[in-house]
Amino acid sequence: MGIVLSNIIAIYRRELQSYFVSPLAYAIVGIFWFLAGLFFVIILQDIIQYIAILETRNAQLGVPVPPIDVPYTFLQAFLERLEWLLLFILPILSMGLYSEERKRGTLELLATSPITNWAVAVGKLLGVLTFFITMILPLLILEAIVLSAANPPMSAAIPLLGHLALILLAGAILSVGMFISSLTDSTILSAVMSFAVIFLLLFVELIAKSIGGFFGEILGNLSLLKHYNTLIQGVFDTSSVIVFLSYIILGIFLTAQSINAFRFQRR
Amino acid sequence: MIEVEHLNKTYGSTSAITDVTFRVEKGEILGFLGPNGAGKTTTMRILAGYLPATSGTAKIAGFDINENSLEVRQRIGYLPENPPLYAEMTIEAYLYFVARIKAVPAGDRAQKVQAAMERCNLLDRRHVIIRKLSKGYRQRVGIAQAIVHEPSVIILDEPTVGLDPRQIIEVRNLIKSLAGDRTIIISTHILPEVSMVCSRVTIINGGKVVATNSPENLMNELAGGSGYELEIDGDISLAKQVLLNLADVNLVESIAKSPNDSVFDDRRVNLRVICNPNTEPGNHIAATLMRTGFDLYEMRRVSATLEDVFLDLTTEEEKPELDENLALSDETVTNEEGEAA
Repeated sequence: MGIVLSNIIAIYRRELQSYFVSPLAYAIVGIFWFLAGLFFVIILQDIIQYIAILETRNAQLGVPVPPIDVPYTFLQAFLERLEWLLLFILPILSMGLYSEERKRGTLELLATSPITNWAVAVGKLLGVLTFFITMILPLLILEAIVLSAANPPMSAAIPLLGHLALILLAGAILSVGMFISSLTDSTILSAVMSFAVIFLLLFVELIAKSIGGFFGEILGNLSLLKHYNTLIQGVFDTSSVIVFLSYIILGIFLTAQSINAFRFQRR
Repeated sequence: MIEVEHLNKTYGSTSAITDVTFRVEKGEILGFLGPNGAGKTTTMRILAGYLPATSGTAKIAGFDINENSLEVRQRIGYLPENPPLYAEMTIEAYLYFVARIKAVPAGDRAQKVQAAMERCNLLDRRHVIIRKLSKGYRQRVGIAQAIVHEPSVIILDEPTVGLDPRQIIEVRNLIKSLAGDRTIIISTHILPEVSMVCSRVTIINGGKVVATNSPENLMNELAGGSGYELEIDGDISLAKQVLLNLADVNLVESIAKSPNDSVFDDRRVNLRVICNPNTEPGNHIAATLMRTGFDLYEMRRVSATLEDVFLDLTTEEEKPELDENLALSDETVTNEEGEAA
């Protein structure tokens, strides 16, 4: 058990370190921060304008201002925008997880070391997820500044749950992306395929609605977006958490299996 | 130390290796010699646990490669054809990483990484990023990676390919210095390398083991059976017959004329006469030819080098009777059906 843990840590550290020296990763982080910051400002301005309109109407026409939970609305709108960013950013983070190893021949090193496929997969997923969490840390500072101005103060539970949902969503997407990455030695193909599959998983709810019925309901529950939206609304739904965890475990399992099956096709 | 038994590997309907069987004793350096595409890499990958064999098995240090894969992997160091390097890491960080995934206990890592770097002459570049290293250094990092956990078996796939002559010598000396209590398999298609580095040679062609012996024996048995090349005028089949009747003559075959030979008369033919080891029947050959009325225009002694052994054993168009007469040793498997593979 100690050896397995030490293996996972070794893979994790190497994976994480590779992001911090990769120009591509820095470019992605830069774009992510820029766009996320843009969304942040736009949403904030929208809400301020909306409130301003409501207040002018109150002053001029005497229409009462409906109660709005501004911090809550803001946070939810921001987290909803972020999921769009994730759709584009995460496949680029996950595309190299295995394709790069296959292309450089380092998979041959991993495959001939006394280390199991799933330990490699777990280490890699933790590595890329940690990198993602460091990516969103600056956004947390932005949010903390804005939300701390809320009066009455916002309860910590909602932002906590919202960001847990964000991390779970990222974990699920990265896990699926990792599996797709293990299928090819082309990083571009891996990114494109991951994008397509994740797009489908995010929006399968729309398809499900048009199908309807029992089957439609099953399909709808696979939708990542549906469960993400539940959680960011501040509703702690265990089934949603379980769906995300299932995606993560499934991704790890499929990755380990595909690397194992790949042994039989190698030349 | 390594016992390979009846290994087969097929990809779909094509067979990469067929019934590969050999043994390597502890402390030996085995050279795996064969032309490109002969199945060297496939065999090594199977031994290293990267590829599963279609049938057959191998034991490394007493562990079966199929049943105890993790145990085997812990005991081997493997350098694939392209060194598996992470270009963005420094040499030292990379070796630490390899030591970790090879299950070297935390307390021993620093010492073993240090020892591997010392051995491969990497100490002065330990903090250099691998991307910036020359080909020769990368190859040495590849070897350091294979020995950092002090495995009892080291498998090196074409370790000197693409290096300049000075680097080749360095790498060969390094490999020789690794022997001792370790068992080493190296693959190569460079002939002199085998006689310089290896204590035994396995020649593989078309996925089959063609011969296994020490380089000296392979050379001796063939060089000992040296022969003559003749240029004569007359009936070639009659000449073959009379020569084969001589005591020490093993084989007579006609060989292609080189373009500048026999410009005088195109009835002349060239023959190669192979004799029994350590005999010199040149005088008898000449006398016999004269007596039976052949005109002898040229006669010179030829001897086989390892290169010839290699070519003889691995050329597709070889003549079956050549193999029979040049049987190298008991272990020799002659490739009688050259087309089969």
